[in-house]
Formats: sequence, structure tokens, C-alpha cells
Amino acid sequence: MRKLRENPALLSLIIAVSAALFGYWLLRNPSSTLAFLLTLGTLLAAFLQPIPRWLKVLIGGAILLLVLPVAGFKNSFLFELGIQTGIYAAMALGLNVVVGLAGLLDLGYAAFFAVGAYTWAIFGSSQANHFMPWKIFPLPGAYFYLFMLVAVVMAAITGVIIGSPALRLKGDYLAIVTLGLGEMVRVLANNLDHPINITNGPQGITPIQRPPIDWFIAIFDKFGIHMSRVEAYPLFFYLLVLVIIGIVTLVNINLDRSRFGRAWIAIREDEIAARAMGIPLLPTKLLAFATGASFSGAMGALFAAKQLYVSPESFTLIQSIMILVMVILGGMGSIPGAILGAATVTILNVDLLKTASDYLNDLRNAGFTLDLGFFKYNFANLPNQLEPAKYERMVFGLILILMMIYRPEGILPERRHVMEMKEEG
Amino acid sequence: MSTAILEVDHVTKTFGGLVAVNDVSLTINKQEIFAVIGPNGAGKTTFFNLVTGIYKPDTGHIIFDGEEITGRDPAWIAARGMARTFQNIRLFGSMTAVENVMVARHVHTKTSYVDALLHTPHYRREEKKALDRAMELLAYMQLDHRAQELAKNLPYGEQRRLEIARALALEPKLLLLDEPAAGMNPQETEDLQNRIKGIRDDLGITIVLIEHDMKLVMSISERIAVLDYGKKILEGTPEEVQNDPRVIEAYLGRGAVEGA
Repeated sequence: MRKLRENPALLSLIIAVSAALFGYWLLRNPSSTLAFLLTLGTLLAAFLQPIPRWLKVLIGGAILLLVLPVAGFKNSFLFELGIQTGIYAAMALGLNVVVGLAGLLDLGYAAFFAVGAYTWAIFGSSQANHFMPWKIFPLPGAYFYLFMLVAVVMAAITGVIIGSPALRLKGDYLAIVTLGLGEMVRVLANNLDHPINITNGPQGITPIQRPPIDWFIAIFDKFGIHMSRVEAYPLFFYLLVLVIIGIVTLVNINLDRSRFGRAWIAIREDEIAARAMGIPLLPTKLLAFATGASFSGAMGALFAAKQLYVSPESFTLIQSIMILVMVILGGMGSIPGAILGAATVTILNVDLLKTASDYLNDLRNAGFTLDLGFFKYNFANLPNQLEPAKYERMVFGLILILMMIYRPEGILPERRHVMEMKEEG
Repeated sequence: MSTAILEVDHVTKTFGGLVAVNDVSLTINKQEIFAVIGPNGAGKTTFFNLVTGIYKPDTGHIIFDGEEITGRDPAWIAARGMARTFQNIRLFGSMTAVENVMVARHVHTKTSYVDALLHTPHYRREEKKALDRAMELLAYMQLDHRAQELAKNLPYGEQRRLEIARALALEPKLLLLDEPAAGMNPQETEDLQNRIKGIRDDLGITIVLIEHDMKLVMSISERIAVLDYGKKILEGTPEEVQNDPRVIEAYLGRGAVEGA
């Protein structure tokens, strides 16, 4: 491996060839999980290995903008996977500011996602007619973009409201209080159907307007690609998510390298020293909290439009923990880490575990008998409880335990951290 | 306008039953090098923590550069031009040396949050200024060759110097040094001594230091206050302090004086 690293030309060639090979395979077999994983693996390798920048961009662009969308037309599940990964990646990036940079353990992060989702859900459906004086709802889908900004502001305000009392606490206490306040948002959503019906309670809100995409279809028409609306929406949301991830990543990098990013890390490292250097504690922490919240809020609005439906069930504690797992898995404070963590957890969650379950189910339905001579097993006898999809949390628990033992700094650690951890280990 | 930069007026701080700082009054003049000495546990570091706002005094007033700062937030006081170093080094370990110094440029970097989000030209200019000043200060403390190393990987003596560089980045009027020579060898201590003098002479910064190295204290301080059991027992020039029996008593016990 080291030899290979010293020979960038050969390395580039290998990565480029495997990208072409796996990409082609995925195009031929859009529903092959293995082809999908290998393609993504190549993407990751292209990003991590020391190959020329233009090649990275070329491979990344080809896979994300060509292979996945084209394969997605034959297997729309790929779009679903891409969109979900993107939504979670943006949220992981937001939580990374709070937990990774500023070192504030937030267990109520899904609350901001809920605020964003309900912001568009209420006004992008007829729900708002219940309590607004003008019966003009649902607002036309084009308002969606405006409401993404509104969702950002609403989530940031919620962040300040929750943060103002909570951020006076530290460590475990902060974690518990954010957990409680986060749950409060969900409980509010669950109960604000009376006396005034704002959230429609546990039944949730549906249908929610989507942004209009006739212009989007028209563009593709010009190039001779004809799509129905049902086909076009997944592609549209997929591309929209890519754009948002781009923006969110840029914002994250910019903040990380600014005086605010440095102030957050300083507070994480040593509060007393940070204050003695002129960094006001509470405002700086609130800024981190509101920044993280606003990312989550934007993705909430997108989630509402994509799902056409929101209900309090989508914003449970498990959601918050899942996003935290993504950040820890990827590497606290690391931007590529947060994205990789989100991709890993989402793909594992919505694809791999389900695929494994389906596979076992097929074996069971076919009455397949495993015969190793000394060991015979008829899969028809396999109990339902043994489905991998039901072990989701156990699998995560195991992954986390293994991570803590073998790679506590995460898969792609924050670069400032690398030397430090290696030195101690 | 008086010549005082820091006036401490009858300040007392207790922790439970322990009186850590007991009715201490001090006046420190502009451009002075002032030392606070005393045996371990005499309340010297508590005194620093009171002045910098980390602790709030039970009674008394602290006036910094003509402004009452009693009970104010440490960050507020720091932004007004009071910088410090810590007895047990408190650097931001996982940041590089230059980033450590840039943290203290926070209050002097005039970029808004939006500037930082968008990396506007204004932001780039301000960031460049902060970086240049940080590098200047690192060079001043002879640490420029370490700029890109993680603070926690620096040797001990360099960490002490980095703390001073970071404190200077606040552009303070008053610099509080808490045992700056602790753990340094004689050569390093001598360098440090010249450096502290230089900070006062070149930059015009008033310096208050806590130090146990008497050679260092006696050779650079203009005035010295002696604390014992939280009380100021003496204040004077190095000569006065050196020859006062109360100081010897405080350090060595009553018997030492009688036996002498």
C-alpha cells in the first residue's frame, strides 16, 4: 500500500479504472447492492488517496452526476438512498459544529429538524387554514425555497431558545437537558392540535406541496430526455440535495477556518483559557447551537416536501442519537467524516440490513436447505425474529463499540487531531 | 488621569471557611514590573483569578484603567486589555501554535458572522491581518518555526512562551504572568527575564508576575508585594523586601528569624 501511495500515476490509473468498471457494472445492474457499494467505495478512495485534483473532480462528478442518476432511473431506490444520505449528511455536518467543534453534547438535535419540517408542512399544506385568518393555504410550491430560508431562521431561533437555558450547563448535564427540551418539541407537535389546530397532532400533516419542476422537466426535454413528473421528482430532489450538501460543506469549511471556528474549538479545549482570551462563553456557544440548528431546519423543510407527509414520529430521540452516531463514527470535528458517517449509517440502515433481511426471506420462502454434511438447516424454519433489519440498533451498538476500541478518533478524524491521537495511542 | 493601571481595593475572597485572599489592597502603576510573591497557598493565584474575573470577590473593588471591573465577565475584562498566562499551562492543545495565538485575536478581528460564512474580501483581509500579527508575535517569542505544530506537542519551555505570545495577541495594557519560569532551566529563565523586560520596554505593557524564582523576581521587579495566608504582609522595592524579617518568617517560619 505504501509503495502504491508513492506512485500516484499507478494509483490514479487503478482508481480511474475501477471507477469506470464498477460504474459500468452499476449501470448494467442498477439493483445490485454490491455494484452500488463498490462504486461508492471507489468514490471514497478517489477522495482520500493522493491523486490529482482534476481526476478527483472527474470521478466524483461522473459517479454522482452520471452513474447514480442514470442507474436511479432503473432503480429509483438509489435516489431514495441518495436523498436520505444527503439529508442526514447535512444534519451530521450541522451537529458536527455543535458537538465536534464546540464540544457541546446535544441529544435533542432532531427537534430542529422537526421545526424545519413543520415550518413548511404547515404553510405548504391546507393545515395553516385552521389558524390563519386568510384561507390562502396551501401556499404554491414555489414558496418552498423561501420557506427553506424561513425554516433556517425558525430553527436558529429555536436553537437560541433551547440553548439559552441549556448552555449554562456542561457535559452530561447539557446532554440530558437538550434531550428533554428536544423531546418537548416532539411532544408539542404531538399535542398542538387543540385548542388551536396547528400541527394536526399525531395524525400528522399531508399532503404537502412540492416545488414546481416543470422548468426542470423542460430542460431535460430539450436534450431529448422525457420524464414524467413521478420520474422527475426523485432526480430533482437528488440534485437539490447535492447542491445543498455543497453549500453546507462550504459553509462548514468557511466557519471552521474563521475566528468563530477557532473560538468554538478554544471553548471545547479549555473554557477558562478561552474566556481569558476574550471569548464570551454563552454567546459563542449559542452561535454554535444556532448554526447547527439552522442546517437541521433547512433539511427539515426539504424532508417535508420530499415525504409529502410529516408526523411527530419522525423526530424521536432515536433520530437525534442516530445523527450523533454519524458524527462520532465519521470523526468528531471532521467535515468529510460527518458526510462519510451519514452515508455509512444511512446505507447500512435503509439498504444493507434490509437487503440481508430480504435475502434471508427469499431463502425461507424457497425452503432452501443448507447442507454442510455435518450441519443441516432448512431456512423454512428460520424464525421471523432473526431478520437483520430487526437488529438495526444492535448492529449500531456493535459498530460503535468496535470503533471505540480500535479507532476512537473516528473513521476520518479531524486533521488537527490526527497527530495528537497517534501520539497518545 | 492617575498613573495607576490597576487598583485593588480591600478585596476579600473566601472558599467555605478558608479566607484565600484577605482584605488585600494594591495599586499597580502604568509600565511597572510588579511581582507578587509568597509561600505556596498564600493566595497569589486566587488574587490573579479575582483580578481577571474568574472569581468574583466577596467584598472590595477592582478598578482597571479607570473602570470598575469587579464581578465582570473574564471575556469582557480581557477585551478591555488584560491578558494572562496560567500556572498550569492552559493552551488549546489540539490547535496549532499559530491558531492558539489567533484565538486571542478574536476581539480584534472585525469580521461579522456573515463575512465568515461567505469568506468576503473584507474577511480575507482581516484574517490575513490576524495571521500576520500572530506570526509576528510567534517570532517575537522565538516560536515562528513551531507555528504549524500542535500546541500540545511543543516542549514545556516553548509552551510557556506560546502562552505569553497568545496573551500578547490580545494587545493588552496589563499582562499577568503566573509563574512564567516554572520548570525552566537557568538559561531559559534568563532568556525569559530579558523577554519580560522587553515586553515592558518595547511594547509598553505593564507586567504583574507571580514567581518563585527569587533571582528572577529580584532582578526585574520594580516593586514587590508579599502575600501570606491571603494577607498582604509587605509591599516595597526588592531591597526592602529582601531585608524584611517578616518575609523570611513567612517563607521559613517564626523560628528561622529568632534563630538568625
